[in-house]
Amino acid sequence: MAAIAEPTTGIKKNYLTAIQEALAEEMARNSDMICLGEDIGILGGAFGCTMGLQDQFGPQRVIDMPISEAAIVGSSVGMALNGKTVMAEMQFIDFISCGFDQIVNMMATYHYRTAGEVAINVTLRGPAGGYGGGALYHSQMNESWFCHSPGLKVVVPSTPYDAKGLLKACLRDPNPCLFYEIKQLYRDSKIAEVIPDEDYIVPLGSAAIRRPGTDLTFVTYGQNVYHCLQAADILAEKGYSAEVIDIRSLVPLDEQTILESIKKTNRVVVVNEAPKTCGYAGELVARINEFAFEHLDAPALRVTRLDTPVPWVQPLELFVLPSVEKIVETATRVLRF
Amino acid sequence: MAITASQTNPPQSNLLPDGEPLPSSQLSKEDHLEILRQLYLARYFDVRLIKEKKRGRLRGTLYSSHNQEAVLVGSLFGLKGTDWISPIHRDMPAFFMKDLRAGWDNNDRIGLTIEQVCCQVWGKQDSPGRARDNWSHIGSKSKRIIHSTSMLAGTIPVAAGVVYADRLNGGDAVVLTYNGEGSTAQGIFHEAINFAAVHKLPVITIVENNHWAYGTPTNLEYSQEDFARRADGYGIPGLIADGQDVFDVYDKVMMAVNHARAGKGPSIIECKTYRAYGHGDHDDDRAANYRPEYDAKATYKDDIEHARRDPIDVCKKKLVSLGFITQADADRHVCEYKSADKTKDEDFPPEVVAYLKRGVEYAVKNPVPPAEEGGMWVFRE
Ligand SMILES: Cc1ncc(C[n+]2csc(CCOP(=O)(O)OP(=O)(O)O)c2C)c(N)n1
Ligand SMILES: [Mg+2]
Repeated sequence: MAAIAEPTTGIKKNYLTAIQEALAEEMARNSDMICLGEDIGILGGAFGCTMGLQDQFGPQRVIDMPISEAAIVGSSVGMALNGKTVMAEMQFIDFISCGFDQIVNMMATYHYRTAGEVAINVTLRGPAGGYGGGALYHSQMNESWFCHSPGLKVVVPSTPYDAKGLLKACLRDPNPCLFYEIKQLYRDSKIAEVIPDEDYIVPLGSAAIRRPGTDLTFVTYGQNVYHCLQAADILAEKGYSAEVIDIRSLVPLDEQTILESIKKTNRVVVVNEAPKTCGYAGELVARINEFAFEHLDAPALRVTRLDTPVPWVQPLELFVLPSVEKIVETATRVLRF
Repeated sequence: MAITASQTNPPQSNLLPDGEPLPSSQLSKEDHLEILRQLYLARYFDVRLIKEKKRGRLRGTLYSSHNQEAVLVGSLFGLKGTDWISPIHRDMPAFFMKDLRAGWDNNDRIGLTIEQVCCQVWGKQDSPGRARDNWSHIGSKSKRIIHSTSMLAGTIPVAAGVVYADRLNGGDAVVLTYNGEGSTAQGIFHEAINFAAVHKLPVITIVENNHWAYGTPTNLEYSQEDFARRADGYGIPGLIADGQDVFDVYDKVMMAVNHARAGKGPSIIECKTYRAYGHGDHDDDRAANYRPEYDAKATYKDDIEHARRDPIDVCKKKLVSLGFITQADADRHVCEYKSADKTKDEDFPPEVVAYLKRGVEYAVKNPVPPAEEGGMWVFRE
């Protein structure tokens, strides 16, 4: 449901470039926009997402902050309160916990407690996700903390096209948004793609069908989209046709696209890499039960991380995270029900 | 303000009782020689890791402690084994150098072994944390090393809790927490030191001021010219140490330790030094670009000039001047002023090379933990 069709000719761009472009273009079109974060100016960001921005827009609009996530979030809220559009970077999304109170109590509730007087246009973005040997504090997917805090929009793009279009949508949305970047995808050349030169957004709350199918629906986001696509390949060899839905936006959620798919397939498996208990996968399963109640031929199941942190060394890390094998296994169970 | 030997700031923080000699003046010749050996060991550990990483044998990011060894050796040397420490990412050698003075091969010393630390670096099962978390995120309750997370300054309140409990248990332990100057911007840094100050807890905060926090220079992290002055806000002493001079670090830390053990409470010691390379090994090339311009115009220019003195050179000069070694001894193994890639094994005393070799060989042979361990130890059963 992209606003502009994806072009097929031109230079392929990776996920990181898409983010760099979104930030630079929004800074250029919105003179009220400010970027702040740790090492985003002189260095251009730990991963280079803000490379060149300070040279282009100056240190007043691209601020190297002291190492305080609480001050980064709180001062972003103040800037937004006084009319600015703010992009605040978390060097790794894991460190967002150090700014937790400012996010869930100050930022998320602002609109509500002021009876709509104040809208806080802050986008908090940062690298997230496991499968990279980042260990406990450089691998987290902690999106459910924020989905559980009313007033925050939560977005997880899995492609360069979406990364650019969703980031622009967040930066133009009057509400606080959390934007999870999958760091394993930043420089992944396999997913690099041609993206439009002209301005476009991907609207928040619109899911994408990554692969059509008729027998089972995978509902997923982030890098698990690619695991589900691989699982769908394996299932295809066994004669099953699986549809893969990338929800992209967790809050708000595009229930309609999921419902339409389930009407067709009647079976669903939800996949994400966060811990199982109280994770967003559980929320998806519960919602599917509510809105697709009469269309399900089998209970909706989920594949998630075990209820553990993400350990460092590879065998342990892969043991706790969802794998293609685990996804195929669960899908097979649902298909045979 | 530039560093001068024994300078303290603010003035109330001269912690030496009148007429008392500097702690380092009480060190024996043997102690002096051991301190030099430990500096070599810290340097060699770092050099070896940089080389191993370049050869693709290690995973993860390497945060070099090159040029900051005097802070580690000088602060650890006077501690009792029963004291606690809380190192962070740039302090990897601290894990095996704690209580090293009790003997490099002493199995009863209260610090991790070189084998354990190498197993951690290599991601092997005999790491004290069984390689569940990476690099410096290890510790040991029995060896009195607090286990850090990535969250900067996050262990300071833990350190305060540890020594609070130690006091109730009738102990006399102090705790040294290590922090980069950038990490001091975290709210928890303030909250924890404030608590420690109120209860006069023996918490000594070492600020390793290497003038860069990743890609951000000191003047964008805090506005005091000398960080140590912040101590005044807590009503505790703040000391400045020359981070290149192992004996100055030793003196300042021992003043703070004696103060803390006497029940007089916490202190902050700012050790002025300079980061040798990039933030991590992934950042070396970029750092070469982003640093010079800011350093040239910075208010801390003098401090950086000062920190160009290699701590091993500074130590050797002192030992020569005291007559504990000859110039020929000093020139036997020369690693000072050489970057890791220009450094050879012959630039270090053979016992240092052998010590690390032992650790590396053990780690290389040690297995990776079995995959199922990923699901274990969420709760104590
Ligand atoms: C809460 C938190 N925010 C951000 C980071 C990312 N980070 C890791 S090290 C570092 C710079 C630390 O600088 P400094 O404290 O001066 O220590 P140095 O690396 O110079 O020794 C940053 C920003 C982190 N680990 N924890
Ligand atoms: Mg620093």
